[in-house]
Amino acid sequence: MDMQFGVMLRGLFDWDDDMTVRFEELMEQARLIDKLGYDCITKGSHFSTYPHQEMTQIPFLCRVMSEAPNVRLNAGIVLMALHNPMEVADYFATMDLMSGGRMIFGCALGYRDVEFKAFGVKKGTGVKRFEENLTAVRRLWTEEKVSMKGSTFELDEARISVPLQQDPHPPIWVGANADKAIQRAARMGDCWYLNPHQKIETLLRQIDVYKAELDRVGKPFPTELPIRREVFCAPTHDEAVELAAPYIKGMYDAYKTWGQDKVMPEEDRDITQEYAELAKDRFIVGDPDEVAAEYIRYNKELGVNHIIMSVQGVGMPQGQVLDTLTLVAEEVMPKVRAA
Amino acid sequence: MSDIQFGYMTRSQHTRDEDMGECFADLIEQVRLLEKLGYSSFAKGNHYSSDPFFEFQQIPLLCRLMAEAPSMRLIAGIVLLSLHKPLEIAEYFATMDVMSGGKVVFGAALGYRNVEYKAFNIQKGTGVVRFEQNLEAIKRLWTEDKVSMKGEYFELDGASVSMPCVQKPHPPIWIGANADVAVDRAARLGDTWYISAHHRKDTLVRQVEFYKRCLDKYKKPFPAEWPLRREVFVAESREKAIELVRPYLGLKYSTYHAWGQSEPMPEGDTLGLEFDDLLENRFIFGTADEVAAEIVDYCNVLGTNHFITSCQWPGMPHSLVMEGIHRFAEDVMPRVRQGL
Repeated sequence: MDMQFGVMLRGLFDWDDDMTVRFEELMEQARLIDKLGYDCITKGSHFSTYPHQEMTQIPFLCRVMSEAPNVRLNAGIVLMALHNPMEVADYFATMDLMSGGRMIFGCALGYRDVEFKAFGVKKGTGVKRFEENLTAVRRLWTEEKVSMKGSTFELDEARISVPLQQDPHPPIWVGANADKAIQRAARMGDCWYLNPHQKIETLLRQIDVYKAELDRVGKPFPTELPIRREVFCAPTHDEAVELAAPYIKGMYDAYKTWGQDKVMPEEDRDITQEYAELAKDRFIVGDPDEVAAEYIRYNKELGVNHIIMSVQGVGMPQGQVLDTLTLVAEEVMPKVRAA
Repeated sequence: MSDIQFGYMTRSQHTRDEDMGECFADLIEQVRLLEKLGYSSFAKGNHYSSDPFFEFQQIPLLCRLMAEAPSMRLIAGIVLLSLHKPLEIAEYFATMDVMSGGKVVFGAALGYRNVEYKAFNIQKGTGVVRFEQNLEAIKRLWTEDKVSMKGEYFELDGASVSMPCVQKPHPPIWIGANADVAVDRAARLGDTWYISAHHRKDTLVRQVEFYKRCLDKYKKPFPAEWPLRREVFVAESREKAIELVRPYLGLKYSTYHAWGQSEPMPEGDTLGLEFDDLLENRFIFGTADEVAAEIVDYCNVLGTNHFITSCQWPGMPHSLVMEGIHRFAEDVMPRVRQGL
């Protein structure tokens, strides 16, 4: 598979920001992404984001599909332990149909207490729910009528509401930070969706964990291996760092308050360090040559062939986002493709 | 002239031999026509596991179609609120309200199908408490920055929505209700009662009086917006209209009955009737004059000021749906406006 270039429309904004304006800007980003020949738009999922504002994932992906008719649409990721499998399976079937078979179904456990409580998910039951839900979703997508009794649902001859466009179903990417979760991704997913927070040397160790588990269960290495990274590109290295650093740092401070660090491998857990330390082997920020070299390095060392760039940190101005999207498309993509 | 609004409801349910990709393309065309012809709202219901039909899912569909209908209000009519978690619904609708520029209507009701209750792990007998707690939580999430509230099946621990709604204080809350006890609840908890297409007219006349007494009991004024939904079709004659829609509407209602929709119906009524008995006093078929006169009568008797026409049923050809949309807008709307 050729290298795929994706963009995550994160869009986290301050609480007093006017979201109707920010929404129009996100639509403008989506149209540009489509026009510049990117392959994919990703939207993540969090609930209860105060003091930040964020578009919720499923409504946003459904709306953006008409602005960006050519790209794949990645739910990266759905907090699978929180949701009901009938709802998720049915929503994504409709989305796959409406988009003409462009959906990617990313899923992971989630980690925030406020979300688990709000969805009535008791601590310690997340993994079981995740596994049962994903099994149920896969069955609903591939069987005519499903009867299955989970611990928090019962499918009684339940049937998907619309047929899927993709055969047999949208790709299932499983997000994972810890080693155990990566092994689960190997067992249950069509691929592991490599996370944005881990340093490259941690990922190098973990890719072996992933491969070993694939071997153990007799599954081949996936044809598509995606990763998400913080990416920013400007004409010069110094300019890129100066423009991006404050916003990426703001993002990571928000992650910290959400408790993202607690589910990361021990060696990577400190995510509130100074920007320079945090950035090393973790963020892809620089001039076009540097960014292209990093993309190629990720491909060579880890085998990833779909790199999803997160650009917009909290409060990053629209012009800056559009500039970096344009620069990456015009100067980075051709270099990476040539290599 | 009156300020009545005309809405359109699509089931977006199809028989399992239809090509759903084509059905979706047809639906886009239908929605563009609705927008062009001046319908003011678009409604979509909610079911999971819609066997024997295919059906587009409500929230994804409304979000996609808002791109095609920039001036229409979007009615989730209704969300099966007992099945869901309040934070999820509050956030989805806040995002939808922002994306649509404040044009979303939040309809909610209990639901009744076993396959759905089981799939969402809702024990029989807990539907009402879930509905009430969920609705209270959603209203609080829409109007407070941070909410702490312990429900029986969820806990909001300093939770927030991901963005405030555009409409203030929040999108209108329309409650669907069939039986009297549910109508009482709609008066207590909703901004208005969203009357279904199933009720007989004589039942409605009685129930609207009952609804008014409930409003008095709760010291609430009669709602400013007062919607009514009906199955409608216009043709050269009443007989012709019935002949045209019988296969599709007949299938829809025999499926309702098989799904258990007759159970929560008002006392003395059922949907388990032969088609010719079912349509009496319930559906509106006829010439443009006849249909308009009947709608004017509803408006005069019940006070309706948002009439939602429903003329798409499973298996119905796209061309016939388009014809229904055209005829209602071109022949019925002006006559109703004139008659009021």
